[in-house]
Amino acid sequence: MIISSSKPFEEVLALLKDEDPIFVVGCSVCAAKLHVGGEPEVKEMCERLARAGKHVIGGTVPRAACNMRSSEVLTDLDPEILNAGAILVMSCGSGASTVAKLFDIPVYPSNNTDSLGGMSGDEVLRDQCVMCGQCSIGDFGGVCPSSKCPKGLLNGPCGGSMDGICEVDPEKDCAWELIYKRLERIRRLDLLENIYKPKEHGVK
Amino acid sequence: MTQRYCCNDCPLPIHHLLLFIAMSLKAKPAYYPKMYSTFNDTLRSDRFIITAEVSPPKGVDTSTMLSDAVRLRGWVDAINITDNQRAVMRMSPLAAGKTLLDEGHEVIMQLTCRDRNRLALQSDLLGAAAMGLRNVCVMSGDHTTKGDHPGAKPVYDLDSIQLLSMIQNMEEGYDLAGNDLEDAPEFVVGAVSNIDPKQPMQLLKLKKKVRMGTQFIQTQAVYDVEQFAEFMGMIESVEMPVIAGIIPLRSANMARFMNENIPGIRVGDDLIRRMENADDPVQEGLRIAAGTIMELRGICRGVHLMPIGGHMNTPQLLEMAGLTALR
Repeated sequence: MIISSSKPFEEVLALLKDEDPIFVVGCSVCAAKLHVGGEPEVKEMCERLARAGKHVIGGTVPRAACNMRSSEVLTDLDPEILNAGAILVMSCGSGASTVAKLFDIPVYPSNNTDSLGGMSGDEVLRDQCVMCGQCSIGDFGGVCPSSKCPKGLLNGPCGGSMDGICEVDPEKDCAWELIYKRLERIRRLDLLENIYKPKEHGVK
Repeated sequence: MTQRYCCNDCPLPIHHLLLFIAMSLKAKPAYYPKMYSTFNDTLRSDRFIITAEVSPPKGVDTSTMLSDAVRLRGWVDAINITDNQRAVMRMSPLAAGKTLLDEGHEVIMQLTCRDRNRLALQSDLLGAAAMGLRNVCVMSGDHTTKGDHPGAKPVYDLDSIQLLSMIQNMEEGYDLAGNDLEDAPEFVVGAVSNIDPKQPMQLLKLKKKVRMGTQFIQTQAVYDVEQFAEFMGMIESVEMPVIAGIIPLRSANMARFMNENIPGIRVGDDLIRRMENADDPVQEGLRIAAGTIMELRGICRGVHLMPIGGHMNTPQLLEMAGLTALR
């Protein structure tokens, strides 16, 4: 799933400064699960914008903002969108881009798209994948160093990793600590001896 | 006298034409001097090696850097010129290193993976070789978020292992894409390492560096010789000159700050107490460092001096450690 987070309301308001009337579009998939674009959040956004003096003419939540056959998906849900001066999309960047492709009016995002992650139980799993187009997580016990290590190091930790903690974020485990533990658990520490070549960025 | 021309149709005076012909016949200029690495000789000798770190200026005036280097003349085998250390922007080590080289210093150019993609790394390495900078020391580099431009894009196109491998390719006459180089550079290549024997992944990475042709290792600062000896024991199988880092303490607070903020540095409580109780903390720090150097003489191949704030006290430190000048 795509991990998104809400922009501060003041920033959203500034984006919409010269726009009216506003229509708000949410997303029932990732953004809803993360509570940044489901029904309650779209309703709340409409109310807050109205309180801040914006003219909000409606809000709707399609099944997936990133997967829409045509503009009819939204006009069927609420034809009021055709009267909008601008659309605020409460999804990831992909959803906002998809909506922008369907309507010839300005489209603004209410969220920042942070990473490609996942969810397990109630736990949000961030930075699971960087979509490099050359997946090799099998070599790293299923832990992607390109996304879990801020330096994307493929051949072991940097000197900044200490006691299993990342140099960049003391709240995070070093990716190589995670890889080591995982390979130990699946009895494949031998993979750590391999020397991995640089990723080919041109392939994407 | 009438001017003589090349021919009836063009106005080129004949003596200009003769000059052009003479210039084109002149031998091809020597492209680079294939500078000799005296540091390579030191590595191959059985001498105790001393290297020291000098920082490029944050500005264009190189005089402070050069006067710091002058203090080291006769005392050290080579000077490491740092590469935007701690991710703080400074003059490039290529330019600063060449400036030191022109003053007759033996230079080790540090090269991080943080700020250059594979094209820029190779470009700088070719430039270094062409200008006679033969010794390089490679590392990942502190993350951009730790420095003075935290919004900079961190590159890390290659990691230090891949960079070492690429240098091997270049020495064989190929770039990373497999294209022929017109002529192959020659380097003396080093890398860095932490020294905690309890970090298996750090040791594993060090062994990869050795497999990729590293010719020397410079380490993080040593304050616990016993622990360092344990580390050396764990890499016993590696035939490699290990040069141990030394940062003289200047105060108890500095020790505490490093313990909290610099990965891989652990100053023990006993040393912090010594610093607290000292009348002259700077001198006490030098005494501690000199003692460490003397103990290290039997354990590793040399020391790498990285004092905070310049090399004013470095000759004194080396004398206290029983090391002589006129190297």
